[in-house]
Parts: sequence; structure tokens; C-alpha cells
Amino acid sequence: MSHLFGHNGAEGEGYSQPAALATAQDPVIPASLVRASPARWPRLSEPEMVRHYTWLSKRNFGIDTGFYPLGSCTMKHNPRVNEVIAQLPGIADIHPHQPEHQLQGWLSIYYEMQHMLAVVSGMDDVTLQPVAGAQGEFTAIRCIQEYFRLRGETQRTKVIVPDSAHGTNPASAAMAGFEIVEIPSLEDGRMDLDALAAVADETTAAMMITNPNTLGLFEADIAEASRIVHEAGGQMYYDGANFNAILGITSPGLMGFDAVHFNLHKTFSQPHGGGGPGSGPIGVKSHLAPFLPGPVAARNEAAPEDMHRSLDGFMYRWHEPEHSIGKVQQWHGNAGAVIRCWAYYRRYGFGLKQMSEHAVLNANYLRHAIHREAKAAGVDHLFADGAETEVAKHEFTLSMQPAKDALGVSAMDVAKGLLDRGYMAPTVYFPLVVPECMMIEPTETESKDTLDTFAKHFSQVLKTDPETLHEAPITTPVRRVDEVYAARNLCLKHPFDEA
Amino acid sequence: MPPSGAEVRKMVDQLPNRGREAEMLLEMGFNSMEDLFADIPEDVRFKGELPLPAPQSEEEIIADARRLLGANQDLGSRPSFLGAGLYRNYVPAAVFQLVTRGEFLTAYTPYQPEVSQGMLQAMWEFQTLVSELVGLPIANLSLYDGSTAAAEALTCAVRVHNRKASQPNTVYVSELTSPDKLSVMHNYCQGADIAIKTLAHNPDGTLDLEAVQAAAGACGVYIEQPNPLGVMDEGLVGLKAMLGDHTALIVGVQPVSLGVLEAPGHYGADIVVGEGQPLGSPLTAGGPLYGIFACKQPYLRLMPGRIVGRSIDVDGNEAYCLTLSTREQHIRRHRATSNICTNETLIALMGAMHMALLGPDGLAELAHRNMAACQALKERLSAIDGVEVVHDAPHFNEFAIRVKGTANACLAHLDQHGITGGFDLNRWYPDINDQILVTATDQTRLADIEALAAQLALWTTHAEVAA
Repeated sequence: MSHLFGHNGAEGEGYSQPAALATAQDPVIPASLVRASPARWPRLSEPEMVRHYTWLSKRNFGIDTGFYPLGSCTMKHNPRVNEVIAQLPGIADIHPHQPEHQLQGWLSIYYEMQHMLAVVSGMDDVTLQPVAGAQGEFTAIRCIQEYFRLRGETQRTKVIVPDSAHGTNPASAAMAGFEIVEIPSLEDGRMDLDALAAVADETTAAMMITNPNTLGLFEADIAEASRIVHEAGGQMYYDGANFNAILGITSPGLMGFDAVHFNLHKTFSQPHGGGGPGSGPIGVKSHLAPFLPGPVAARNEAAPEDMHRSLDGFMYRWHEPEHSIGKVQQWHGNAGAVIRCWAYYRRYGFGLKQMSEHAVLNANYLRHAIHREAKAAGVDHLFADGAETEVAKHEFTLSMQPAKDALGVSAMDVAKGLLDRGYMAPTVYFPLVVPECMMIEPTETESKDTLDTFAKHFSQVLKTDPETLHEAPITTPVRRVDEVYAARNLCLKHPFDEA
Repeated sequence: MPPSGAEVRKMVDQLPNRGREAEMLLEMGFNSMEDLFADIPEDVRFKGELPLPAPQSEEEIIADARRLLGANQDLGSRPSFLGAGLYRNYVPAAVFQLVTRGEFLTAYTPYQPEVSQGMLQAMWEFQTLVSELVGLPIANLSLYDGSTAAAEALTCAVRVHNRKASQPNTVYVSELTSPDKLSVMHNYCQGADIAIKTLAHNPDGTLDLEAVQAAAGACGVYIEQPNPLGVMDEGLVGLKAMLGDHTALIVGVQPVSLGVLEAPGHYGADIVVGEGQPLGSPLTAGGPLYGIFACKQPYLRLMPGRIVGRSIDVDGNEAYCLTLSTREQHIRRHRATSNICTNETLIALMGAMHMALLGPDGLAELAHRNMAACQALKERLSAIDGVEVVHDAPHFNEFAIRVKGTANACLAHLDQHGITGGFDLNRWYPDINDQILVTATDQTRLADIEALAAQLALWTTHAEVAA
């Protein structure tokens, strides 16, 4: 083990700083504000620090380490050129308060990204300010709220959410002050139009839904759902978590939605960074555009006197929407993430559809291969499809309930068995509508060979005797971690006194 | 139109199964890619190709990126005195080298702790580093930025104190708070029907302690140290005693300042938040950043954001995992303490790495260098006729100056002469139009200060001639 707080070397620091600027008088700190005792931070030289974090990195699993079929997370390869671009001083060393004429390149990239996202989503306007998917949800729901306030429809206090929705949907709507109406899904996991029709009324502000849904199924009745909600006077909100399945094939706009958020860290390859940063822009139809958080990037044809500093005949500027809800982040969103995603989008251009086609191809192929290999290994009776369907979209679910009934092997056991074989585990126990659920999303950046090999390993895990599987994982840096112990014996920081 | 051969080749590098589609489809019993989308009704289908430009190769993309981003004025290539919430502090090379290791960069949230020990331990260490920095026992592993951390602190304070508050659903915020930050606070607070009232300041830039009396019995008070005008305010030391046990004292910090300034937790702060950026992260045009959030024990179970706990594995070995998740949206759904899911882990990791390299001595030195640069700037600018330091107060790394004419015109003059002169306070305070917030950091050189001073002197002459 390497412990950061085990390092307590000689006085000094891990990198040398130049001398402070000379002053006529020493800077003054008011006496009562002088720090009495320094932070008990460790003291490391650079070689010790580099070795510590390298050691930690080796105890972490990323897409670069191996196949990462984590359902609903779209763990695709992160091209390295994106990292190079994000380090250029023209973005890394830029302050958001600089005047517009110093930011033409950045503004033009923002403008281009707003445009691209509007095109692929069928929306009219886009803001890049929200910094995560959940914040995008919150932002769009706030826009809808202000839209109704301005129209005097303040009785619209409810947001409808399917019970299979990601937890951020109800959390974001509740944070904006809405009451949540949860509607049950049908047994096959699809949306229940009758249940929707029964609750949609003059108190409905919006419905939040994702399509393809969390089972990886396309909700063919989505236009009908939009009609029901719109007839009740409500707005349709599209959770873009599963956007990777539909680029260039269909769009939230075509399905009748009024607002949508994008997870750029899913669909457009911003690295997940072990939990962030993300980027969660939103797109809206024109009636909601005046409410977007400001400012957004806009442009005018360059005047003759500005031509010499124009990139492309236009001058770019910030624009404040007329009835803006204000800000959800202090600056202009996660610009560094947006730049990376711009680089990713440029790779595909009008060919973005091929990205989604391959995401769906890979998901269906992996589903097929898992069944094929399981049959060959005689373990196909140990799981079932989470949803009966001819084709899945970008992800699919399996129910491990048969394995649980027959052998006492849970979805979690299988997940841990996969860790021992060098894979990240699929998402487990979500969505809840599938018992002992495993949710698998390979993404378009995995080769057929990787998928075939994974399918074989999946079968071999199921052939493992249950006792061994309960013990898994055994090859990982630590074995099963006791989460109950963690919660009962809270240790949220280094206990200096015990050390 | 379908992509041409050359265009297809540009996409292949990201699509390993290009060219194997037919084989894969055939094995599944399908004839074409179209079969995989048969479930999407015709009436919601795109017709034709997306109206977007042609695909590009990596070389073309990086060339365009250099051209477009090269048109931006990066602040490293000219003297800059722009701060106002984001600061150009040096980030050591090792931080960039280590943070791009794929095992950190390309991992998801550590839901499978057995293969995520590296990031979990790094975040547990980050929690310790922040806890020590601000003088509070608990820290989470980051919120989006300083503004959302401050906003979430307000709603957290209301959740904790509302029952006993004589001013329920009410918080007080310094009137100096940047309107952008205040706007974020309003967005986060309005859903919970929280009223945000403001606290007045004295002409010398310090908090009006008389006015603070009005906040007694409210759920929370938010104030920054140093304040948005760079002033280090001794008045904050007595604030907790004035507010009592049932009002949360929330202090917003510039983390570098805590190398020399007392940790707010040591003078009564219940919650400390701040923009973590100066430790570990470049400006990056204002994002991604990381929000610091630390608190006392009573706030623990109602606080926002993820927390790592130290635990054991089945063999009794030390191991780390996410804990107290029952506060979070994926479990508690609409009753969660916050909707936050994705946060700023990787930027927090950069922060942790920078803090680890600094150590306590390095942080003190870094803070001192910021203060010394600020002092040198103040000494030089106050010697110029026609430039006035607005507040006769101790400043950490920035301060307001009054100039001849408007701040806007003065900054334009400086810009024309290759200097980013600071921040026009008119953007925050509409009734002020002749004040500039000038910032010095460890990156400020004596030559930068001389250049600014020379041009300010010139400006003063111009402005007087014009008047």
C-alpha cells in the first residue's frame, strides 16, 4: 500500500517556486486572521508523488484498461487528440471574462457546437452552459417552469416520470420545485400510455422520458405520448442519456419533444474521468429559447472594419436570451469538455449516423453472441432477455433470475466473476423492472473479436461453480468491499490521531 | 449522400467493425443495417443525410483547432491582471502528466470498488486534504464549481436549520457576491422557496456587522474570505458568535489564501465552499473547474455530493468505497439532497496532486507569493497620479482601483497596448463605472506590473486631456 499521508518528509515541497516579488513593505495579514496551524498535508518530493499516483492509477480500471460494457454509461473510446487540443493555450489559458474580440475562436466553436446539437436533436436553440446531464435536466425543467409562469399557468406543478427513469430525472424536477408523478411501466418495460393518459392534465408541466428506454428498447408509441402530454398542455422533455443509439436516424424533435439534454461525456467522448467532469448542454424548441441560461454564442456578419479580425466573415458574440432563467454555472459551462467533443464530432461530420449504427450493431451482436456461446456451453437456461424484442438499440438487459433460482448465483456474483476475467462489470440492478438485471452497452468502439471473447467469458462465468463465484473477485486489487462496514464505521478522512 | 471512400476511411479509426457489418448482420440473421432500426416508425425518421460538414481526419481536426483556438488571446502571452474568481496559478507539470493516465481519465464513477481502488483512495485523500485546508471534519469529493457549491450550501443549510429557524426559508448573502454566482444561487434556491436577502458592507469594503444582526434566526449566511474585492475581513472572526447555533455560517474561500489565512473552520464556519481551480487546474475558459464543499458533522447526512469512506474487504484488508449513498438521487430519487450525479472528480484529482506536491510549506509559500505580488502591484499603482486604491484594507491577491474616465475605456486602452488590465466592476455593480479589479498571482512578474503602471499613467494623461 502507498499512503499519501504516510509521506512526511523534510520541510519543503515537491516542486521549487521562484522567489516572491520584492515589496517596499511586507504584505499585512490582520492579526486575528493569521493561520495558527498549517494544514496537516503530507510532504512529498516529486518522485515520491509521481510514484504514489502511478501506483493508484494501476489500481483503477478505465476503458483504456479493458472492455467496459457499463449499461447506460456509453463508455466509448476517448481519442487522445481531444486531450492534446484541450491543452492548447487558446482554451486552457483563457479567462471567460475576456472581451469577445479576444475569444473569436472559442465563440465560433461554441456556435458550431450549438448548431450541430440543434441539427441532430431537431431543436431550435442550444445552450452549452450546464456542466452535467443532471444539471441539463434541471436547467430545462427551469426553462419550462419560467415559460409557464410567464403564460400565467402556475397551476402546472407536476412532472411525470416513468418508474424506470434514471434517478436524476425526479431529483432534478423536485429541485426545481415540482411534484413528481411516477407512472408504472408495462410488464415488458415499455411506457404505459393508459397510465400516462390517466395522469396528464392541467396540472402537468412536463413529462421526462428517455428513448430508447433504459431497457434499450425504442418506444414506438413516443409520438402518441407526446400528443397526450401536449393535449394536456404540458411539455415533453427528452433525457439524452441514450442518444448514442439514434444520431442521424431519428431525433427528439421528430418525436415531438420540446426540450432535451445531451450527455456530451457519453455520446461525444468527453472522458468520464472517474466520475466527471461532464457536459450537459440542452436544446429547446423556439418557444422555450427565450428562457435559456445565458449567455449563448451568437454571430453577426462582420462589419468592414472588423473583417481583419474575423475568422470566417462573421463576428461572434455572447447573447443573453430575453427571459433567461439566469445562470446554472458561474461561467460558460465546461468549455474544456465542449472542445473535446467538438473534436470528436468533427471526425464524423454528416457521418454521425454511422456511429449510432455501429453502436446498435455491436449491442445486437453482443446479445446474439452471448446467447450463442451460452447455448454452446449449456448455460443458456441460466438467464433470460430482460425484454422480449426482435432488435435492441444501443444496449440490452439480461435477467439473471434463472441463475439465482437454480444455483443461488446473483447478478452481482456474475458481475464480480467478470471482474476476475479482466472486464468491467455491466450495470447491475438497474433498471429495477428487470429482476436480477444486468444492463450491457458495448458502444461502437469495440471490435467483433472483443465482443466474441467477452461472450465466451460470460458463459464461462456462468459455468463456474456457485461457491467460487460467491468468492469472486479474487484477482483484483482488493476483494469484495464491505459497504455496510463503511457506512457503520464512517471513516471519511485520514485519522491523524491514530496514525 | 453517402460518405465517399476517403471520408469513410477517416471514420474507420473509431469504428473497429467497419467492413465487418455484413458478416455480423448475417450471423444474426439480418440482411442490412436497416433491419436493426425496423422498430423506429417511419414518421419519426430523418430523411436524407444530416446537414453537417464532411468528416475530418485527426490531422485536419488538430489543424483547425490550432487555427481557431489560436485566434483567442491566451493570457500567458501578455501581462494579465484579470482574476475576479478564477486565477492563473502555476500548475506543476507532474499534475498534467499523471492525470492523463488512461486508468484515471477513462474510468467511470467507481461503482465497482474492487477495480476502482485507485480513484477511490485518491478521492478519500482529496477529502482529507480539503478537510485540513479549511478546518472542517467532512469534505465531499467535489461539486461542479464554486458557484454551485455555494448554492448547494444554502439549500443544505435550510434543510438542516429550517425547523428551528425564526426566519425559515431565508438565507443572507453578501451584497458583494458576483451576480453570476448569485444567479446560480437563485436558480438552486427558488425550487425550495428560499428567499435570498443581502448583507450590506461598509465603505472600507468590510462586512457591516450591524447589518448582520438582521440575519439572526435565518437558516444560513454566505460570505467570502477574502471577499470579492480582495479584502481580508477580520470581522468574520466574530460572526459565528453573533449568529448562534441555528444559523449556518457558510464561508466561500479562495483555497490558495488558506496557506496564510486562518481556516474558516477554526473561526466558526459550519460550511466552507470555494472554487478549487487555483489549486490544480488551468483557467480553461471557466470550466471544467471543481467546487469545494466541506462541513461540520450536523450537515453530513443532508449534504450534497459523493463521499468516499474507508472500509475493509472480505479478507479484512483496507479498501475504499462510496458511502452514505442514501442521500443521493440514484437511491433517494426525488427526495435526494441534490440531483448531482456526474461531478468533477478528475479536476479534483488534479487539485489533490497539486496539494500533495505543495505540502503545507509549499502552500504557505504560494500564498505568500500571491500576496507579495499583490502588494508590489498596489505599491506601484498607488504611486500613479490619477489612480486610487479604493479600499484602504489588507488585500490577498486583488483589489479595486479607481481610474480616470470609465473603467471600460481604460481597459480598452490597456488592451490596445497588449495588457489585460483587470475586471470592469461595472459588470457586477451597475452604479460603479470607474473601478477596475486588478489581480496579481504567483504568475505576475515585475515587468508585467511595470507595463501596466506605464500604460495607466499614460491613460491618466489622455483622460485628463480628453476631460
